[in-house]
Amino acid sequence: MKKGLYPFRTDRKFYVWIASAAAMHLLVFFLALALLIWESGRHVRTRVVNVTFVSLPGSGGAQEISEPGQKTAAESSETETEALPKPQPAEQVSEVSKKKIPEEPQKTKPADLTRTLERLKQNVDRATRQTPSSLNNALAALKQKVNSQGSAGGTGQGSGSGRGGMGSGFGNGGTADPYKAQLAMIIQRNWEFSKHMMRSSSDMEVYVRINILPDGTIREIVYDRRASSEYLNMSVKKALEKSSPLPGLPKGQGNPDLWIGFVFTPEGIER
Amino acid sequence: MHDSKLGIFGLISDAGPIVLFVLCILLFFSIVSWAIIAYKFGYVRKSLAESGAFLDYFFEVGNVEKIFTESEQYRNGSLPRVFRAGYVEFRAMGQITDPRQAKARVARAVKREANAECKRLSSLVPFLATVGNTAPFIGLFGTVWGIMNSFQNIGITQSASLAAVAPGISEALIATAAGLAAAIPAVIGYNYFTNQIGSIERDLEEFSPEFVSVCIKE
Repeated sequence: MKKGLYPFRTDRKFYVWIASAAAMHLLVFFLALALLIWESGRHVRTRVVNVTFVSLPGSGGAQEISEPGQKTAAESSETETEALPKPQPAEQVSEVSKKKIPEEPQKTKPADLTRTLERLKQNVDRATRQTPSSLNNALAALKQKVNSQGSAGGTGQGSGSGRGGMGSGFGNGGTADPYKAQLAMIIQRNWEFSKHMMRSSSDMEVYVRINILPDGTIREIVYDRRASSEYLNMSVKKALEKSSPLPGLPKGQGNPDLWIGFVFTPEGIER
Repeated sequence: MHDSKLGIFGLISDAGPIVLFVLCILLFFSIVSWAIIAYKFGYVRKSLAESGAFLDYFFEVGNVEKIFTESEQYRNGSLPRVFRAGYVEFRAMGQITDPRQAKARVARAVKREANAECKRLSSLVPFLATVGNTAPFIGLFGTVWGIMNSFQNIGITQSASLAAVAPGISEALIATAAGLAAAIPAVIGYNYFTNQIGSIERDLEEFSPEFVSVCIKE
């Protein structure tokens, strides 16, 4: 019968629909991807403090402080240029760290802390040489501030670095802030990471920034760059969630909340 | 707190080969299901609309020749198609000597065309039922496989912490989510088409004798 012609017509039409459905799936996939990329790029770019973590959880022993990686060099130049117009934090830290020296070396990890402080001093000296006039002004202002708030600052450091057996913060300007160093220590303490779970060894850096409320609660975690290992990404997220609430923001903080960035890498994991 | 939501794509890219295979099958199911839904939706809707319009004309005009001429405009309707089959059979007989035999022949032609039309309407629809029934299980298979791997990892790391277990489980659950995403539209589509095709079939059963009697009366 002539009905035999029908299947050919319907099949051809049906193949057109198959192609359309495949195109629709692709479109939905790319739209979702684009939406997510747009969503993640929509956040305001904030100052990033680079901290390299080198701990192996569960080892319990002291860890070495790693050198800031080459990859973070570009990042650090960015942060320095952003930090320079506001030299207050760096200078405040230098004052604070000068106070810190006599208290800490004998109690915990003298060698590491001495090295850290040496580096911090070098950083501050370099910054002072580059912008002498603005730093002098800032110094004067800070001296006044330190005189008025001197006792409070001293207590903060003592508790923060006293636990620092696991080692870690490195600054490109902002990290020298004892508050940030304290955060880095707390987060590192809560970071559980096992190399057995890693499927590859390349692209193992997680750039994360967190939004901290005045009471220390982490309001938002934003991945600026994810590692290829989802396990590493998740371990970072878990560490941050476990660390919340962090210590409250230091007094005199201008903004109601604070954005701080961290870089998590498994470097030194073999140690 | 929330992190950036590239996570789903990250989970897919980190998934193991079995889970990826399951995801590919489910993607195929989903594509074919949506193609069937779109194709059948147009087909059934046209058939219903044209059958309704043809029936209006059929009861309005008594002349079978006019009805046949009008039916040529409704190429996609099921009822017009069945009527045309009966009319063509009726005209092929030429002179009618025995009206009872002629009626039986036309009735056979109408029935045959009605059956063909039912088959045509319900073709591909069972695939939707298959997807609706099996896709969640296929997804579940991927999930079970992924969770098995997670437990193996727990054994290797000798740590049952959430950080060690959760990534594998969330990867695995992607397969179940994909299974449900493929199955839900398929089940909805299957129920819709079953209902619509059932209604057309009832129309065909009801009006086939009318077509025969209109032809033989002439």
